[in-house]
Amino acid sequence: MTITIALPSKGRMKDDASAIFEKAGLKIVAVGNERSYRGRVEGLDDVEIAFLSASEISREIGSGSIDFGVTGEDLIREGLSEADARVEFCARLGFGHADVVVAVPEIWLDVDTMADLGDVAADFRARHGRRLAIATKYWRLTQQFFSAQHGIQLYRIVESLGATEGAPASGSADIIVDITSTGSTLKANHLKILSDGIMLRSQACLVRARKAEHAGDPLVAKIIAAVQGAVA
Amino acid sequence: MPLINLPAFAPDLLADFERLGTLRVDTPVIQPAEPFLDMAGEDLRRRIFMTESETGRSLCLRPEFTIPVCLRHIETATGTPQRYSYLGEIFRQRREGANEFYQAGIEDLGETDVAGADARAIGDAIAILSARLPGKKLDVTLGDQSVFEAVVAACGLPAGWQKRLIHAFGNSTQIDALLTRLSSPQPVTGLSAEIEALLVSGDDATLIAHLDETMEATGYSTNASRSPKEIAARLKEKRALEKTALDGRTLAVLREFLSLNMPLADAPAALFQFAEKSGLTLDGALSRFDARVAALGNAGVDAKRLTYRAAFGRPLDYYTGLVFEIVIEGSSAVLAGGGRFDRLMTLLGAKERIPAVGFALWLDRIEQALAQPQGEAAQ
Repeated sequence: MTITIALPSKGRMKDDASAIFEKAGLKIVAVGNERSYRGRVEGLDDVEIAFLSASEISREIGSGSIDFGVTGEDLIREGLSEADARVEFCARLGFGHADVVVAVPEIWLDVDTMADLGDVAADFRARHGRRLAIATKYWRLTQQFFSAQHGIQLYRIVESLGATEGAPASGSADIIVDITSTGSTLKANHLKILSDGIMLRSQACLVRARKAEHAGDPLVAKIIAAVQGAVA
Repeated sequence: MPLINLPAFAPDLLADFERLGTLRVDTPVIQPAEPFLDMAGEDLRRRIFMTESETGRSLCLRPEFTIPVCLRHIETATGTPQRYSYLGEIFRQRREGANEFYQAGIEDLGETDVAGADARAIGDAIAILSARLPGKKLDVTLGDQSVFEAVVAACGLPAGWQKRLIHAFGNSTQIDALLTRLSSPQPVTGLSAEIEALLVSGDDATLIAHLDETMEATGYSTNASRSPKEIAARLKEKRALEKTALDGRTLAVLREFLSLNMPLADAPAALFQFAEKSGLTLDGALSRFDARVAALGNAGVDAKRLTYRAAFGRPLDYYTGLVFEIVIEGSSAVLAGGGRFDRLMTLLGAKERIPAVGFALWLDRIEQALAQPQGEAAQ
């Protein structure tokens, strides 16, 4: 059986992923020219490499059309419902670190915790004639964190596909849920992370689609063991 | 089995609705999504079927009837009181079972005799289910948020805490977590020396002006979201409460109240005793509660057959008083659920306050119950 591994197609993620695989003894070579979107692993004829965008990798792994993928945990958990039932997080790869956080304007001096935010959200409609608006591209993670974990129901998500951190100042939302690695963009936009507002500490992971045919496949076991060995 | 046809008993239901003097209404299957998300919260989004019109308007397949019926009432500017009935398909994403199923129900809008309207809703729901399910023993559970509101008010809790408790009412996990949190002091930390000084000085105007200036300087509008005044007021409230914690006695009183669970017939006396023992003045809420029990008696409903559970509520901000649900004894499938939602009509845009109470019947579950041999559900 041929095993397909999807790796990020560009940037730091691509280089870091290739480096880990090389360290794991799975040297990746491009098929055709350097910019090709297909590759293979030196010495392993049954493995195909597909170079895809990080969000495509999350989608393809969810549908099971690839066997393994390297992508951010945030994209998997945002992209797939019941992620743990559908994919296995085989290894955390130590790069692509980013936290998905709840951030509010610094000037909200009275809001430090999710409980504070719940108070503000409960009152928001009565005071402002509309629900508290959250700008984010993380619909699923936000709903899980606010509704299931903190019992906060009364808010509206305003979809934001870029420059989310600017939404509160521009007035298009009150607060944000976004990804941050150093916090400097949040700071520059006068936003602060709530003390219990870290929803997910994400990093690049090797994930496997849970497929029945993987059971007992030595190649699958070998890939997992090799990558785990490289990051141990 | 997906319900592609009306349940066999649908004509009987419609006859019941007519006999009860309701006005049957239909509402479009395709509805604007906004009011549902606005009322029920963002969590609903993954449980409804949403789509978009060509112009980008969010639409959804009707996930329930109450909001469309209320909106229709506001749009057609019909006078009150008015009792509506409906029977039609609703659409929800469910992990198990069909995604489309029939629901029927009654919405009673604008009846000012609150106790009478509450009793009529409960009585109608019981009568309709009993007629459809002869021989099955029904369990009716009833709760009342307004009694809880009266309890927290009578405990003399700070206004902010009262709001938080009322907001969490009906969700036992949330209310437990909240009671635990309120039992220990919540210090306010991380404030700059300047803000601390302003808070200590008690000079509100200067504090608000300072927040205003900071927002201007950092590019934040002072009126698009929370205002400097609002932030200052809540900050002061937090500071005032930071050394306060829910005392053990009040905590015990609240926990005792939330654990009350008894036949409704015994509830008026039990609530009176609870109030007396705890030294709380609940007169208004208790007399309204008693009036409902009396009205149930007048409507021919035996209060001994109903259960009152003090902690039973729905954590949605438009439910204001009565909530109830009906199951077959021994089963957990809710066949009918209802309650009072006096805040919904104004939230949806009605110019004046319109009291409202209603209930919905889950026809697929009633069909399943019918398919079960006599007595099986009780096991």
